[in-house]
Amino acid sequence: MLIGIDVGGTFTDGVIFDGKTVTAVVKHPTNNLDLKNTLLQVLDELLAEVNPKDIHRIVLSTTLVTNMLATGNVERTALLLMPGPGLPLDTYRIFDDTYLLKGSIDFRGRKTEALDRKEIEKAVSQIQVQGIRKIAVVGKFSNRNSEYEKEVQKIILDLFPAMEISIGSETAGQLNFLRRIVTTYYSVMTQSVWESFIIEIEKALQAREIAAEVAVLKADGGTMPLRLSRYKPCETVFSGPAASTMGAVALVMKPRNTVVLDIGGTTSDISLLIDGHPLYASKGARIGGHYTHINAFSVRSLPLGGDSPILINNGEICVETKRLGSAACFGGDQPTVTDVYNHKYMLGIGQQSESSASLTGLIQGSELDIERLCTGVETIVLERLQAAIEQMLQEWENEPAYRVWEVVHGRKFDVQEIIGIGAASPAIVPHLAQRMQVECTIPAYASVANALGACVARPTLSLKLHIDTQSGYYVLDQDGRKGSLPAGRNLQMQDARELALQNLAEIAKLRGMDEYSADAEFYLEEQFNVIRGWDTVGKIFDIGIQIAPGFIKEYQGVSR
Amino acid sequence: MKPTALIFFPAFDWAISPTHPEREERLLYTRDQIFEEGIMDLPQIREYKPRMAAYKDIARVHFCVPDIDAQITEAHLVSAGSALVIADAVMTGEVANGFALVRPPGHHAMTVAHGNRGFCNINNEAIMVEYLRKKYGLRKIAIVDTDVHHGDGTQEIFWHDPDILFISFHQDGRTLYPGTGFIEELGGPLAHGSTINVPLPPRTTDVGIHYVLDNLVLPILAEFKPELVVNSAGQDNHYSDPLANMCFSAQGYAVLNSKLAPDVAVLEGGYSVETALPYVNLGIIMAMAGIDYSNLREPDYSPTQFKESPRNMEYIKELVNTQLANFRGREEVIKANRLKYPGDYTYYKKIFYDTDGIHEEQSTQLHMCEHCAGYRVSKSTAQHPRWGLNRVLCVSVPTYGCPECQAQAQRIYAEKCKEVRNFNYVYLQDRVSDVYRCTDTALSLETVL
Repeated sequence: MLIGIDVGGTFTDGVIFDGKTVTAVVKHPTNNLDLKNTLLQVLDELLAEVNPKDIHRIVLSTTLVTNMLATGNVERTALLLMPGPGLPLDTYRIFDDTYLLKGSIDFRGRKTEALDRKEIEKAVSQIQVQGIRKIAVVGKFSNRNSEYEKEVQKIILDLFPAMEISIGSETAGQLNFLRRIVTTYYSVMTQSVWESFIIEIEKALQAREIAAEVAVLKADGGTMPLRLSRYKPCETVFSGPAASTMGAVALVMKPRNTVVLDIGGTTSDISLLIDGHPLYASKGARIGGHYTHINAFSVRSLPLGGDSPILINNGEICVETKRLGSAACFGGDQPTVTDVYNHKYMLGIGQQSESSASLTGLIQGSELDIERLCTGVETIVLERLQAAIEQMLQEWENEPAYRVWEVVHGRKFDVQEIIGIGAASPAIVPHLAQRMQVECTIPAYASVANALGACVARPTLSLKLHIDTQSGYYVLDQDGRKGSLPAGRNLQMQDARELALQNLAEIAKLRGMDEYSADAEFYLEEQFNVIRGWDTVGKIFDIGIQIAPGFIKEYQGVSR
Repeated sequence: MKPTALIFFPAFDWAISPTHPEREERLLYTRDQIFEEGIMDLPQIREYKPRMAAYKDIARVHFCVPDIDAQITEAHLVSAGSALVIADAVMTGEVANGFALVRPPGHHAMTVAHGNRGFCNINNEAIMVEYLRKKYGLRKIAIVDTDVHHGDGTQEIFWHDPDILFISFHQDGRTLYPGTGFIEELGGPLAHGSTINVPLPPRTTDVGIHYVLDNLVLPILAEFKPELVVNSAGQDNHYSDPLANMCFSAQGYAVLNSKLAPDVAVLEGGYSVETALPYVNLGIIMAMAGIDYSNLREPDYSPTQFKESPRNMEYIKELVNTQLANFRGREEVIKANRLKYPGDYTYYKKIFYDTDGIHEEQSTQLHMCEHCAGYRVSKSTAQHPRWGLNRVLCVSVPTYGCPECQAQAQRIYAEKCKEVRNFNYVYLQDRVSDVYRCTDTALSLETVL
């Protein structure tokens, strides 16, 4: 038995899945001030349906970290940066309590300017005096050489052993200093709160005699063990949309080009599947207007949902973006998009007669009749959704390319299907699909696709290996892993691939996901000869390997 | 403020040969630098996707022998196409300016293309200029070639065009490839003074080059009033370049681009792949996007490292004065040329293709038209190491050519197509109608673009 719980902004959904069917569904409003209790409430209701001993996996998706960062209810955190030459230094003063230090590294990992110990000690003392207990230490090109970051870390700990520190090379080892700063900063900032949350959840589960494997869902649609997530709290941001997308994939399981449309009360979330694989945001998750190194699905949110109110303004039909309450058919004061579909297609949602009555009330005093009102609203809704989808497709097609091959072959996203999930999808999505002349699926359990997606999602792991044979080292973008290469060894692409695979297997083992190592696939293989004069003096490899989002082995689809 | 368009196209899967300076590694460290800086995330930058140029875009500039397919790879189409994407973004007003940071380069490619010269097959800037004229009706454009090598290809393509101002500063041709770009090279008889060359002594520094910029390039641009300024942005004036001997710095390049304020910059040469390119490219991007570049420097740079010698400065000042006078006196000379060469003007030249080892002989006859830049007929013979001897005839009508020149060019093309014994291929480049014809004389087979 599997349990999936998705704590969303408005509702918290939970399901029990027995490997073939969904055996229990729970839906609760979310108390954003006490996410832990909302989560446990849903869990307890689910447990009423099942013997806790039969549960072998629980996956949680929560907005805890997202909320902390959005509300700014976080502990004060300092940044120690080693920016070196390049963009103006002001670029890096994104957050308060930022200190810039000497010491720079170049793209090959060479030290081009030394650290200044006095300067570091002075900055750290200032930080300490202000009562700050968390520091992010990040250097430009620290992903190619982490020695300076580690040296600074040591200096801080020698002075103030209680200081909480995250360093960039261990938190976010991909190229892009700005995103590394933001990711490391948010990580150290949220870590302690996330840690105590984990401990409370673990205690609660123990009290309920649950011995199951517990995992959290990440923004990239994969899971990680709860206990290991303490070092990577930020990876849990935006796990809600990831849960929905994974749910849609799980429910349909077709290798096609698909638009997943999650229409709720207030918003519509659009994500794309290419041959059945979710598309990632090319610049990583965006938090507080800043790009990060957190891998996340590409999701577009529209302020449009079943509860979007309908207005007539100077004879013109308007679909408002701000939710005021529920639809009239559910006792709301004002007609909404749901009421329009309810009336027009006689869907029998809630009190259908209330939908009709509220719309009749709305047209009073205007020249519109109810049919024209409904057609007008439907056109606006479908046009907005279609425009957003098409813009998203176009942006994907126009993503930059860096090789001749990619430009010559281009990319084209031919939509084959729309999958509708979320409460308002059954009413709207079939009409949108008809308008766009593509197939449409509204899967069973569409309203709890998120929770189902969470409980069947498998762990993911993505890493990039950078090998520089001339300099005699390799580095990985995960956990600050690195190593040296024996001098004079002539590495071939095959050797580079094996080194990547070997590292992936090691990390997978540490993360308790070695059963998926065999599913790893290479997504990047670049090889450059380093030529000086007319001689080859070395090679540089960039190898990308991943265990992509997918499902746990026991999951073979849902039967109704 | 509008953003700066950027295409970064390192062509990581294209090289002339594995150890050639034009190899996969060339923009590798530039990639590292601009991606580590997070340039693409900045609001001042908008990244664009490259596209392939159409064959017609190439035919508008070049006579490729025997055909376009023989002269290009897909990488060339992407490189040229990237310049067109940037040009479109600038013209539609989506961006303030743009930089095509692309390879392969193009500024040594001339009108008739038998092969690769100086790492170039087709001329990216020239293709962009003719595209801009056709698509947006631009007329006056200035190209400032800041590569250390003389931009002999671009110079040759616009030699007879009074509406294209071509300024090249470079290391003196007596000391560096391609061995041209002297003060006397000022343009054809009807376009005299719209080609300006500034041959600089080896080891010229930021000071010397900025003197040329401030006292020659900028004043000439102000007087010429182009509708668009293009920087043919080579980076091999850098003090660490392995193929040249100048002493320009990344700061120097950034300042140059701030002052020049090009609408479009297109990368040309520059082969100091580790010590110059990452910093110079970053400098150009920052300068074009209006980002403060005072924190940009090469790790080994020191502001006192290079000093301009008084003797050099003396020479440069004299050079600037001479070229200012040549530019300002251009209309007088053109007037005199009309009297001196009534009817037609003919000249001969030999061209060597260093990369491919081709020897070409060419004679060109320019019609001294009173109404337009005049049509041209070139006869070209080239001995290719693999394909043997090719004899071709190329007829070209200028973009803003007059109806008589167009009609006459069409007549000549039709006649010459019959001369199987004299020519393997006969071409007509009718830019007025935007139609490009090629006839294989032996087969009597015509292809039209």
